[in-house]
Amino acid sequence: MTLSGRFVLLLALGVVPVVLFGLDTVAATGVLLLWLLVVFVLGALDLVLAASPRAVTVERMLPARVRLGESVTSELYLTNTGRRRLVGVVRDAWQPSAGAGHNRSRVVIPSRERRLVSLTLTPFRRGERRVEQVTVRSRGPLGLWNRQATLNAPGRIRVLPPFHARKHLPSRITRLKELDGRTSVMVRGQGTEFDSLREYVRGDDVRSIDWRATARRNDVMVRTWRPERDRRVVILLDTGRTSAARVDNEPRLDTAFEASLLLAALTSVAGDRVDFLAFDRRVRGRVQGASGAALLSQMVDSMALIEPELIEMDWAAVPGQVRSITSQHALVVVLTSVDAAGASTGLLSVLPQLTKRHTVVVASVLDPATVLAAATRGGRDEIYRAAAAERALLDVARVSAAIRRLGADVVTASPEQLPPALADRYIALKAAGRL
Amino acid sequence: MSATLGSQTDAPALLSGAAVGAAGGTTVATPTLRALLGRSSFWVIAAAGILAIAIVAVLVSGGTQAAGRALAGDNVSPAGSMALVEVLRQQGVTVTLASSLAEVRAAVGTDSTVFLYDENSYLDQSQLGELGDLAAHTVVVAPDFLALQALAPTVGFGGVSESDTLTADCSVPAANRAEELTPGGDTLSIPPDAGNPLLTGCFASGTTTFSLVQVQNDSTGGIISLVPDADLFNNENIAHYGNAALALGLLGLSDSLVWYLPTLADLPRTGPPSLAELTPGWVTPVLVLLMLVAVAAAFWRAARFGPLVAENLPVTVKASETMEGRARLYARSNARLRALDALRVGAVQRLALAVGLGRLAHLDEVIGSVAHFTGRAPDEVRRVLVGAIPESDAQLMALSDALQALEHATGQAVQPGSAPAARASASVSGESSPPPAERMDP
Repeated sequence: MTLSGRFVLLLALGVVPVVLFGLDTVAATGVLLLWLLVVFVLGALDLVLAASPRAVTVERMLPARVRLGESVTSELYLTNTGRRRLVGVVRDAWQPSAGAGHNRSRVVIPSRERRLVSLTLTPFRRGERRVEQVTVRSRGPLGLWNRQATLNAPGRIRVLPPFHARKHLPSRITRLKELDGRTSVMVRGQGTEFDSLREYVRGDDVRSIDWRATARRNDVMVRTWRPERDRRVVILLDTGRTSAARVDNEPRLDTAFEASLLLAALTSVAGDRVDFLAFDRRVRGRVQGASGAALLSQMVDSMALIEPELIEMDWAAVPGQVRSITSQHALVVVLTSVDAAGASTGLLSVLPQLTKRHTVVVASVLDPATVLAAATRGGRDEIYRAAAAERALLDVARVSAAIRRLGADVVTASPEQLPPALADRYIALKAAGRL
Repeated sequence: MSATLGSQTDAPALLSGAAVGAAGGTTVATPTLRALLGRSSFWVIAAAGILAIAIVAVLVSGGTQAAGRALAGDNVSPAGSMALVEVLRQQGVTVTLASSLAEVRAAVGTDSTVFLYDENSYLDQSQLGELGDLAAHTVVVAPDFLALQALAPTVGFGGVSESDTLTADCSVPAANRAEELTPGGDTLSIPPDAGNPLLTGCFASGTTTFSLVQVQNDSTGGIISLVPDADLFNNENIAHYGNAALALGLLGLSDSLVWYLPTLADLPRTGPPSLAELTPGWVTPVLVLLMLVAVAAAFWRAARFGPLVAENLPVTVKASETMEGRARLYARSNARLRALDALRVGAVQRLALAVGLGRLAHLDEVIGSVAHFTGRAPDEVRRVLVGAIPESDAQLMALSDALQALEHATGQAVQPGSAPAARASASVSGESSPPPAERMDP
C-alpha cells in the first residue's frame, strides 16, 4: 500500500474547515478528528476498490544478445486476470547498467486483457545484464491510495564486446590476399608452400625456375608460393589483476578483446585454426575447434562474461594450458601487460618453455598518457612527471628487450592501435613463413 | 569475403526472439498482509509483551517512588505526612488536600482548621493575611519572614534550639498533652516584654525562644499556631516524643481540616497576557494537522517502487597511477639527478636510433655522432647528456630544455633535405636514414 500526492493534498486541505469552524480549541479538535476520519475512510475505500496488482501475470520477450553500444527493445506483456480495470504504473526493474533509462510506464489494462510495455535498453556495460522483478502499482478510482505488488519476472540479456576494431578488417584481408600467389622473389622462407607453376616473366627470381617443368613445357616455368594454411594460432588472454587497469578509459582486458577478435577474424580468413583461452589462475573462457562464423560468435559469447579478476596471473600454469590445446608448433599470442621488470618476472620465466616449441608474440597496451607525459616539459612538476614517464617507458623497453632475447616478439601500442598492430604482426609473420 | 565476414561478426546481435518468461503462473514476491502478519507475529507479540511489562513496572514502581513534596498529605515517603493525615481521618476529621488559595477558600467552613506549609514561599503578604483570617484554627509550619510579618509581626526567628529536651511548660492543652518534642529544631523568639496576652510560647529552649508559638488574631479571634520545625510532622518523626500528640491536638480541634501546600498557581500573574491566551483555538489542531500532513508526505515520497536492484560494479584503476605516484615521490624528495638521469637515458636511446646506431650503442659513439650531425661541440653534447649535475630546479629545467633542443636539432639534421654539410657527414658515418616504423611488409 502506498499513498499518493493527492491524498497528502486532501489531508492538507483540512486546514480550511478547521480554521473556519474551529472557534475554540475543543471545536477545532472535533473538526480535525472528523476530517481525519473522512479522509481515511475515503482512502480505505479507494484501496478496497483498486484492482489487485497480484492478479497480473507477466511474460517477457527479450533478444538473447546485444552488442555493447547498440539498443534493443525489451517487451513485457502484462495480462490482467482480475475482474477490475487496472490503472497504474509499472516499473521494470532492470539493472542500472542495462541502460533502461526511465523504466516506469503508465498502463491501463481492462479486465481479462493484455497490454505490451516496451522499453528500449542501451546497455553500457559488457556482460550479463539481468532483470528479476516487475513492480505494479495499482491506483484506486479516487487516486488516493495505491496497491502495490512486486512480481517475479526474471530475464537476462547478454551484452557482447563491441568489436570496434572490425573497421580494420577489410584492409588487412586485402593485404593478406596480396600474399597469395606471390613468387618467391618477394616472399621467401622455409615455411611457404608450393602453390602453382606459371610462365617466367622478366623480373622473377631465377632461383625459383622449375627446371623439370621447363623441360616438359618448352617454356621457362617458375614456381609460385602461397602462405601456409592450417597453422595453429593460440590466443592467450591474461585476465589477472593487471588487466583491470584502465588505459584511455578502457580496461586493458577490453582492448585485449578487440585485438583478439580482429586477429581471430583475420586468422580464420587466412585459413588458420584459432583457439582462444582466457586465463588467470583458472580458465575463465575457452573457445576451441570453432571456425568460420561460429568462431567469432562463440568468442564474443564467452568474452561477454569475462571480468578482470583481482588476483595474480599464474604464469607457471600457462605452458601446460597451451600444451593442452595443441602439441604442434603454433603461434601463441599472449595478450598481457608488459610493465615493470618486477611484475613481468612470471612471464619471463615461462617464455623459454613456450618459445622452444612455438612462435610467441607478446602484445601489450602502451599508455598514451605516459608517452605524452614524457614529452611534456613545462614547470618543475611536469619535468618530474616526464622523468617518471620516461622511467616507465624505459621499464617497458627493458622488459620488451628481455622478451625478445628469449625468442619472443613484442607488440606494444596504444589501445586504438593495438588491434591493427597485432594483425599486422600476424601478417608479417605469415609472410615470413614463421607460422 | 570481407562482407561475409562482417555479417558473421554482426550475427550475434541479430540473434533474437528467444523468449524468456513463463506463460501464466507469475509468482508474486510481495507477501500478502496475512502472510506478513503471520511471519512477524513473534515480533509483534514480543513487542506487545515487552510494552506490557514496561507499563506494569512503571505502575508498580510509581507507587513506591520516593519523590513527592515534603509534608504532602498523600506522600508515603519519610518526608511526607500521609501517616498524620490518615490518623486524623480515622479519628473522624475530614481532611481536604488543597493546592491553591482558591481551593482553600472553597473548602474552609466556619469551624475549620487550616494547615499551611509554604516551603517555596509562593504566597505574598496579602494572601498570608487573608489566610490568617479565614479559619478558626490555622497551623503554620516553618513560617518564613513574610508569614511572620503577616501573621505575627512581633515574633522573630530564634535560631536552632540548643536545649537537649523540649518540654511544654505552657497553657496550651495540645502542648501539655505532648509533654515533649524532638529537640534540635528551629525556634521562634518572642519579645522579652511578655506583656502581650495574645502570644503564647511553648517548648522553651531559652528565655525567649520557643518551638511552638500561638497567636490570637485580634480581629477575628482565630488562633494561629506557628510551628518552626517542619520535621516534627513528617512520617519519619511523627512517632517520636510527643510529636504526634501535638499534631493531633493542634489539627484535630475541628471536624474539617484543610491541608494546604501552596503551588505555582498561587503566584499572582503579572505582565501582558500570555501567548496561549492570544492565539485562536484552532492553532493547535492546525499544527497537529500539518504534522500529520508532513508524515503523510514522507510516506508518499519514501514509498519505494519495488525492491532495490543490486549491481556489481567494475574495478576502476587508472594505469598511469604508478607513474603519477613516482613523479610525486621524485618531486617531494627533490630527486633532481635521478629524474634527469631517466630523461637522459630515454633521450640517449632515441638519439641513438635517430642517428642510425642501435639501441645498445655506446654512449661515446652516440655523443660523437650527435655532435657530428648537429655541428655542436662534443663537450657541449656530453655536458647535456651526462656531465652536468643540476644543483637547483632552475638548472634542472634548463638541462631538460637543452635535452629537448638537442633531440629536436638532431631530428632536423638527420631528415632528408637538411643542410648539405650535415648530409655529407651523414653519408660518411654510414647509415643515415632514421628507422622507419617497425614493419615487415613485403
